[in-house]
Amino acid sequence: MMGISGSGMSGRGPQSESCRLLSVDAESRVFSRLRTTIAWETLRSMLSGARLRLALVVLLSAVFWGSLYALFIEGFSFLESIHAEVISLLFNAFFSSLMIMLVFSTAILLYGNMYCSPEAKLLLTLPARAEAIFAHKFHEAMWFSSWGFILLGSPMLVAYGVVRGAPWTYYLLLLPFMVSFVVIPATFGAICCMAAVAWLGSLRMHALAIVGAVVCAGAAWLGWSLLGSSPAGGGSTEWFEQVLARLSVAEQKFLPSWWLSSGLLEAAQNSERPEARFASLSEAVKFMAVLVSNGMLLQLLARWLARSCFRQGCSQLVGEMPARRQRRIAWVDEFLSAAGTARGRPLRLLLVKDLRLFRRDIAQWSQFVIFFGLLGLYFFNLRVFNYNAAYASMISFLNLAVAGLILSTFTTRFVYPMISLEGRRFWILGLLPVHRDQILWSKFLFSFFGGLLPCCALLYLSDSMLGISRSLIWVHEVCCMVLCMGLSGIAVGLGALMPDLRESSPAKIAAGFGGTLCLVLSSLFIMLVVVIAATPTHLAMATRAFGGGGPPPTGFLGWASGPQGTATSLLVVGFLGVVATFLPLELGLRAFRRLEP
Amino acid sequence: MIEFDHVTRTYGPKPAVTDLSLSIPRGELFALLGPNGAGKTTTIKMLVGLLRPSRGAVRICGYDLTKEARSAHLHTGYVPDEPTLYDKLTGREFLWFIADMFGMPRHIATQKIGREIEHFELAEFADDLTESYSLGMKQRLVFAAALLHDPDVLVLDEPMVGLDPRSVRIVKDLLRTRTQEGMTVFMSTHTLAMAEEMADRVGIMVRGQLRFLGTIAELRDHMALETTNLENLYLELTTSNPDRP
Repeated sequence: MMGISGSGMSGRGPQSESCRLLSVDAESRVFSRLRTTIAWETLRSMLSGARLRLALVVLLSAVFWGSLYALFIEGFSFLESIHAEVISLLFNAFFSSLMIMLVFSTAILLYGNMYCSPEAKLLLTLPARAEAIFAHKFHEAMWFSSWGFILLGSPMLVAYGVVRGAPWTYYLLLLPFMVSFVVIPATFGAICCMAAVAWLGSLRMHALAIVGAVVCAGAAWLGWSLLGSSPAGGGSTEWFEQVLARLSVAEQKFLPSWWLSSGLLEAAQNSERPEARFASLSEAVKFMAVLVSNGMLLQLLARWLARSCFRQGCSQLVGEMPARRQRRIAWVDEFLSAAGTARGRPLRLLLVKDLRLFRRDIAQWSQFVIFFGLLGLYFFNLRVFNYNAAYASMISFLNLAVAGLILSTFTTRFVYPMISLEGRRFWILGLLPVHRDQILWSKFLFSFFGGLLPCCALLYLSDSMLGISRSLIWVHEVCCMVLCMGLSGIAVGLGALMPDLRESSPAKIAAGFGGTLCLVLSSLFIMLVVVIAATPTHLAMATRAFGGGGPPPTGFLGWASGPQGTATSLLVVGFLGVVATFLPLELGLRAFRRLEP
Repeated sequence: MIEFDHVTRTYGPKPAVTDLSLSIPRGELFALLGPNGAGKTTTIKMLVGLLRPSRGAVRICGYDLTKEARSAHLHTGYVPDEPTLYDKLTGREFLWFIADMFGMPRHIATQKIGREIEHFELAEFADDLTESYSLGMKQRLVFAAALLHDPDVLVLDEPMVGLDPRSVRIVKDLLRTRTQEGMTVFMSTHTLAMAEEMADRVGIMVRGQLRFLGTIAELRDHMALETTNLENLYLELTTSNPDRP
């Protein structure tokens, strides 16, 4: 080194009199004010700019809540009439499963929010305590990971209270019980996250993969032992009792889920004697105290951990070398690039590019795998139950609708924003010798073939497990193809028609007006296709069921429930598919040709 | 005000900054130059507490960034190369958040927020959500936030990116005034003209090591070249043999 000349250190400089380090309480108030302001502004923006989305969210949540409430009322009434003790087992199984999910979801959310977000980097350069930054980010992560639990758990618990005729104190304690429970797995997840970053270093991804694999294996084993390996027939009383006996594995007194279940069951006791009522209430409050005290203890531990190793963990992460990507080209990329004519090569290269982006975006393929994996698991377990033909047919069409709805969430979340995101890089594509139409067609083909394979395979699995006829399997496969085509057309077409070129986050693009419209139109399209395709089959089932062995129906009913009806319904479905695909695509193509980025 | 004491930082086995020793006194504007991958960003990140040194210590106003990060941050303002703001806060709300984080009393915060809004000509859009700001508007707001608490040390990472010529002039004038009042500025930049015009001293980093530290005049003397152009001196130094005396 040469020419180094220090000018001397001046020691501790003059601290500006107007600044001071904040107390713990003051810091917490500043962060609380920040969250409140952001929440309020977000709500205001939604009310002014995304009313349709907000109204849909509120409406669908209300419908979802109401349907669950009605379902749970029926379920609890049935269980009360046969075996009241079953409810404790079900509560324990439900809350322990949620507990595991909350641990994982909070840990993953906190990892992204605390260690990888630009906001965390801003906060780390301010004179804020590490534990205050943790607490601020923890609030966010806990809310995002647990709102589903509140939405799912509240109708169940309210329905239980109504069926049991619980006293008013039960309803008063519901929310405090749920919140004090949620804090425990969420804080445990946060502790695991911080410990993994601080002490596992670059091994944390491997550790996470191992833990994830163990949990999945455990869940699969539990699912199989509950449903799959029963010697008794599915749905029989004996089978039901065996399942309940096996569910008792979730009833462990050291688990917070047991404290919650026991507390709620005590709170719901409605004895006629005031002393017994008071005793039950006291027991419930004791269980809540156990939950609150454990939650507070874990919070203390988490804050100590944040104080000790949050800054160190951030420094470690920032300093990690990015993994060098192997230059090996996937065979599918090579095949797509080389196959076909020279004229179609630009389109295929665009497809290869999108495929690579998909493979390298963990958010996309992990959600794809999780949702379709869960759907596959559910379809695989369908064979446990014995269905009659009408019931099996109805379930198979409902499964078709479910597969379509899941696909529509993917096309809205990932395919719809593709054009908007491409618009930001338009200077690259704009200078290439590629026709703009080819860009749009490549997105459509990517979405269509990407959805077609898993959806058709899953529906075949569903139909095989339900044991339905080969002709109906063909009907489902045709409908599935039409759904994939139409949903892709709607997402790509609307994405090109209403691009948001300023936004870089695909989640925010999908959450805008265009994304909401895409989801609504996709849902309507799915409903229409499923209802039209299911009508002839169900007319046939209905005429057989109500005909009482008499002569087959004649006239319109006979025609509609016969093969001609099925063929016509398929023709209508096909026509709908063509309209849903080509109308939005044509509108999108026109808009995209005129687009000036 | 700023002291790097035998600081080394490695990424895995690869050294990013090696044995950096550097003192910057009160009231000096120091510019750190160097090619891409020289270790400038790592140095800046260590200075604002986002990275910890593998060896050695970084101190601001005598506070060790590893052991007394909060006290050091109380004396520091930071303008990153990419402005980070809260989309759903207005510019004024963001400035209030920063003022609150630095524990400013309300009446002083009100006065200083008004002052910075005026300095950086933010009044027109101070009450709009920052999600609607252009890059230049964001950068001006970040400058205002960094200077709000009258820091003893201002750390700038490529400060002029996104600013229009008028904003550049505002920033330059402000830096001159503040350094005369005693504020120390540590700036990383690729803009050699800016360094030549503004800096009291420059440091040139190459492959994690400080290859030169001194004034532009000292650099000219040191290189013993005919040219007086900083660009040529810089290119000569950063591409020359490191063993050259």
